[in-house]
Amino acid sequence: MPPAANLVLALLAGLPILALLAVALTGSPSGGFGATILPAALRETGSLLLLVGIATSLMGLVAAWLVSNFEFPLRRVFEWAFILPLAIPTYLSAYAWVEFMSFTGPVQEMVRAATGAQTLRDYWFPDIRNVPGAAFVMSLVLYPYVYLSCRAFFLMQSGTVTAASRALGASGSRTFFAVILPLARPAVIVGATLAMMEVVNDLGAVEFFGVKSLTAVIYATWINRADLPGAAQMALTLVLVIGVLIWLEQHARRRRGYLMPRDSRTPPPRTPLSGGRAALAVLFSVLVIGLGFAVPFGELMSTAFGRFVRGSVPEGVWAALIQTVWLALAGALVCVMLGYFTARRARSGGAPLIRLAVLGYAVPGTVLALGLALPLGVMDGWLNDASRALWGGSVGLVLSGSVFALIYAYAVRFLAVSHNGLDSALKKRGDSIIDAGKVLGASRAQIFFRVELPTLRPALAAAGVLVFVECIKELPATLLLRPLGVETLATYVYSQASAELFEAAAVPAVLIVMVGLVPVLLAGRLQASSR
Amino acid sequence: MPTALRRAALAALFGLSLTGFAAAQNGSVNIYSYRSPDLIAPLLDRFEEETGIKPVVLFANNGLIERAAAEGENSPADLILTVDIGNLALAKSEGVTQPIPEAALENVPDAYRDAEGHWTALSLRARVFYVSKDRVDAQALSYADIADPEWKGRVCTRSGQHVYNIGLIASRIAHMGEDGARTWLEGVRDNLTGAPTGNDRAQVKSIYSGECDLAIGNTYYMGLMLNNEEEPEQKDWAASVRIIYPDADGTGTHVNVSGAILAKHAPNKDNAEKLIEFLLSEEAQEIYASTNHEFPVVPGVPLSETVASWGELKADDTPLTEIAALRDAASRLVDETRFDEGPQN
Repeated sequence: MPPAANLVLALLAGLPILALLAVALTGSPSGGFGATILPAALRETGSLLLLVGIATSLMGLVAAWLVSNFEFPLRRVFEWAFILPLAIPTYLSAYAWVEFMSFTGPVQEMVRAATGAQTLRDYWFPDIRNVPGAAFVMSLVLYPYVYLSCRAFFLMQSGTVTAASRALGASGSRTFFAVILPLARPAVIVGATLAMMEVVNDLGAVEFFGVKSLTAVIYATWINRADLPGAAQMALTLVLVIGVLIWLEQHARRRRGYLMPRDSRTPPPRTPLSGGRAALAVLFSVLVIGLGFAVPFGELMSTAFGRFVRGSVPEGVWAALIQTVWLALAGALVCVMLGYFTARRARSGGAPLIRLAVLGYAVPGTVLALGLALPLGVMDGWLNDASRALWGGSVGLVLSGSVFALIYAYAVRFLAVSHNGLDSALKKRGDSIIDAGKVLGASRAQIFFRVELPTLRPALAAAGVLVFVECIKELPATLLLRPLGVETLATYVYSQASAELFEAAAVPAVLIVMVGLVPVLLAGRLQASSR
Repeated sequence: MPTALRRAALAALFGLSLTGFAAAQNGSVNIYSYRSPDLIAPLLDRFEEETGIKPVVLFANNGLIERAAAEGENSPADLILTVDIGNLALAKSEGVTQPIPEAALENVPDAYRDAEGHWTALSLRARVFYVSKDRVDAQALSYADIADPEWKGRVCTRSGQHVYNIGLIASRIAHMGEDGARTWLEGVRDNLTGAPTGNDRAQVKSIYSGECDLAIGNTYYMGLMLNNEEEPEQKDWAASVRIIYPDADGTGTHVNVSGAILAKHAPNKDNAEKLIEFLLSEEAQEIYASTNHEFPVVPGVPLSETVASWGELKADDTPLTEIAALRDAASRLVDETRFDEGPQN
């Protein structure tokens, strides 16, 4: 394919950013940067990102390493259960945790029952509404990104390296730090980057925790000061900072090749753990899954249950459910196809343009939506002018007022999700197997269907599932770009929550989690069965 | 397959626009709403019953005016409903409005409508103090009072950058000038129990839990909580709190509005005008009062029992347009005083 395709893709993905750039240039240079709170916001966002990055990396890597390399009680259950928190959007988890730990939540009620205290003045209780609290709660639902990419890495990993390390007399922990960790680094970084992108995009969760994030400052500039150019300036800075970080990371490992003999039929044998070590592994798993999934889901369920029993489930919920699944499927399909394309292109020149194309996830959802609505609106204007001139009728908002805009936004936002997964899978697999096919005289189609697709199946499935779940959880862009009359579960939850009736949102919130769980569990099986 | 889904499928397959369908149908009215659909549902249901016109609502809490502006003359929006004076003023300045016919606005006091009819308020909400029944004795307070060191470690509110607080701070600037408002805001900040978090309901809970004694919040949340049948525990929270109208015997309590604009390129202009007329009718104004516990904008319409029990509201008569113009300054003050970081000394 000609390099022009790369350019077209980069331009399509870059359209919202270019539109924002145009908006930013119309403002005074001091607009966005005049905000005196900017340093504080950078500090809070920075520490939140750092904490979430470290915590998700640790939890995800250790979880993947445990279930892939060791045998301990309930390992098979934990293997899929570690993915569960992925189905819970950060804004729901945040709400549930704040409620859970609040004065009227079960924890404090137990404390009061045990001590006889009446009000918060009678006892001390830790407040989680701060940066560490936000990092804690967000990491607990975001670590599965690292877990998934690391587990995929371990599953494709041949046993020879670990075996060699152990044969040379290295201990288990030495093997972990000297061999596994450096090898798994790309997988950890891929996962942690996705986790941090969620943090950047999030507005709902940080609001519950009272954290002043950069995204919150962008909103304040836009909404309260009616200064869209200033907001665009800050949003672009955010994109730039993230772009530089990604570039630095890729630059740092550009010279490393990961060429090694692979034989997926002989995965490393799992070492049985016994006694205290097995107990530790079980404790870690129970704790992570319990805090990441059981607590928030239980809290939501306990509210939703009453509504189910009383039968006060609003009818709109079911229509929203169908629309959500539909949109998410379309989004997943588009993103996987594009992601495959970009991952392929990134390996054959044109990498800088491709890196630009996958930058969309660094833009906060609402800002992205605005950047998309403006140019699509202009194009709709042209289309309508043309249609009026040609056959005297208007065609309506074909682009900006249809699901097209929504799928477009999903593609820009989540291309990175599918691209990163497929890119690291391609890196891991290498091209020698393709070359072998060519040497044996296979046609391009044969190579694609008989070699490429089967070898990438776990990665393609994982990418599809991740994007599907992302689309189900996506809120800010969906809220602003959805066509008149279209409601997804997330927008439904949000419209209830914005009336400060979060309890009324519990039923659709539970549905979001359950709809997300189905593909997550399916993909878990798919990945596991491929070993 | 439900119709909506089939339509979405068709639209995706053929690149057709959903909004094209909605706009083409006779007897519908397309609403871009900053107000939560739940709060306006009883009103819209009634409207549909009476007129047979089907309201189609698109809710988002940000960016709808920008979306309408981007869509230009092809916009399907007939009407935009907002929750804050800022959005009404913004809609006018963005040029997405057209004058509402005078006849529809005859019952609206001048203070609560645009002089040229580009926007009108539909309901009023007062920004008041929620105070603990047990721990606060004062019967009357002014906004100025809560900057007094006497309240140190006793005050809660949501983020200073929230539009409701921005409106209040803008009104302080109108009364005290920018320097006076800055000193006031710093005083309030230093009296906070910590960095502002949560929404208005959460503040009520904070008083119930003993975390703070006084919170700033909108009246109707208290009304909704006191009458919450689905979550009866909220009644307990609300029962621990009473309401004080600040500056009731002085310049009056700050009020903000929910309002409506008629979209410049409204494809169903007649229906949109009918809807605005309906929303300003005595019947609709009573629904605002009785189910949402807001203050009707049309004089003479009775309050809900709960709201009436709080006594009479004396609204600050600073023109809303002046407050809208000061929002930018208010937002900067919140930044400059680092209000959202909590007490500084």
